[in-house]
Amino acid sequence: MFGRPACPEGDRLVAATDPDEELLRRVGQGDPAAIQAMVGRKLPRMLALAYRMLGDAVEAEDVAQEAMLRAWKQAPRWRPGQARFDTWLHRVGLNLCYDRLRRRREVPTAMPPDRPDPGPAPDRGLLAAELGARVHRALQALPQRQREAVVLCHYQELTNIEAAGLMEVSVEALESLLSRGRRTLRLSLADLAPGAEPAGEGGRG
Amino acid sequence: MNARRMTEGRIAELAEAWGGDVRRWPEGEREAARAWIEAHPDAADRALFEARQTDAALDAAPRLAVSAALRDRVIASAVGAGLRVRAAWPGLRRLLWLGGAGWAAAACAGVVFGATLSGHLALERQVEAVLDLASMTGLDDTAVLG
Repeated sequence: MFGRPACPEGDRLVAATDPDEELLRRVGQGDPAAIQAMVGRKLPRMLALAYRMLGDAVEAEDVAQEAMLRAWKQAPRWRPGQARFDTWLHRVGLNLCYDRLRRRREVPTAMPPDRPDPGPAPDRGLLAAELGARVHRALQALPQRQREAVVLCHYQELTNIEAAGLMEVSVEALESLLSRGRRTLRLSLADLAPGAEPAGEGGRG
Repeated sequence: MNARRMTEGRIAELAEAWGGDVRRWPEGEREAARAWIEAHPDAADRALFEARQTDAALDAAPRLAVSAALRDRVIASAVGAGLRVRAAWPGLRRLLWLGGAGWAAAACAGVVFGATLSGHLALERQVEAVLDLASMTGLDDTAVLG
C-alpha cells in the first residue's frame, strides 16, 4: 500500500529500535491500557501533522481520527522490523492530507481555511497570539512540498532520512525544499525580526 | 555529501535548511559541523543567527490541543476497528453482570436474538472498558510500559 523508504538500510537501522513496537504489540492484543497509551503518544502528533499541513482544525481532527483508526486496524497484523511504526503512521497521515489538499484544488474554495485554534493561553498575551497567527498564515502560504518538508523536519522532528523517505526524495532534495521554504518564511516574517520596520508602516528611507 | 569539507558557507547552507540546532542536521555532516562551530564560535554565531530566528518564529505558531471529545472518539474507534479489547479490572463485575443478562435474554427470546444482543452489549462493554481506563488519572506510557 505504501512506497518503500528512499533509504532501506537506514530504515532497517531505525526499525531495529522502534520505540513503539512493544506498545503496538499490546494494542494488537486489545490491551485497553496500551490503547490509551498509544492515543496519548500518537494522537497529538497526528493532529499536529494534519493541522500544519491543512491549516484547518476541523479537517485536522478528521484526519487524525482516520489515521488512528487505520493504526488500530493495522496493529494486530503489524510485522516488526519492516519500518518504524511512527514513520508508517506519518505516511498514512500525509496520504490523508494529500487527499484533502487534492480535493481543495478540484473544488476551489473562496478562501483557504485559516483558523488558528485554540486561542492563546492566558499567560501568552496578544502579541504572542498575533505572532503565532502570522507564522501560521506564512506556513500555509508555502508551496505544498516546501510546507511538508518544514512540517516533517521542524514540527514532527523526524530524522532527515525518515522525512526524505516519506517524501520520496533524496536527503539533498529535501535540503533544497527546506532551504527554499525557510527562506520564504523568513522573508514573510522579516518585519517581526528585532530592529525591523513594522509591516505596513513603510519601508526604509 | 559526507566527504564535503566543512566551511563557513556550508555551515550557512546547513543552517538555512535544517535550522539552528545541529542535532537536526544530516548525520554524515554533524560531527564535522560541530568541530567547525567549536573552532570558529564567532563565525558560527553569525551563520546560525538567522536560522535560530526562523526556528523561534516557527515555534511561535499555534498548537492544536487534543480535545477530550476527539480522544474519546479515537479510543472508541479501536473497538469499531475490530480490536478485541480485554476487560479492564474496574469494570469486570459489570461485565459479568451484563454477560448474565445477555444469557437470560437468549433464553427468553431465542438463541439468534440473544446472540445479537450479547454481541451488542459486549461491543459496548469493550468501548466502556477502554474509556474507563482513559478516565483514570496519572496513566501514561511509563505506567503502561513499566
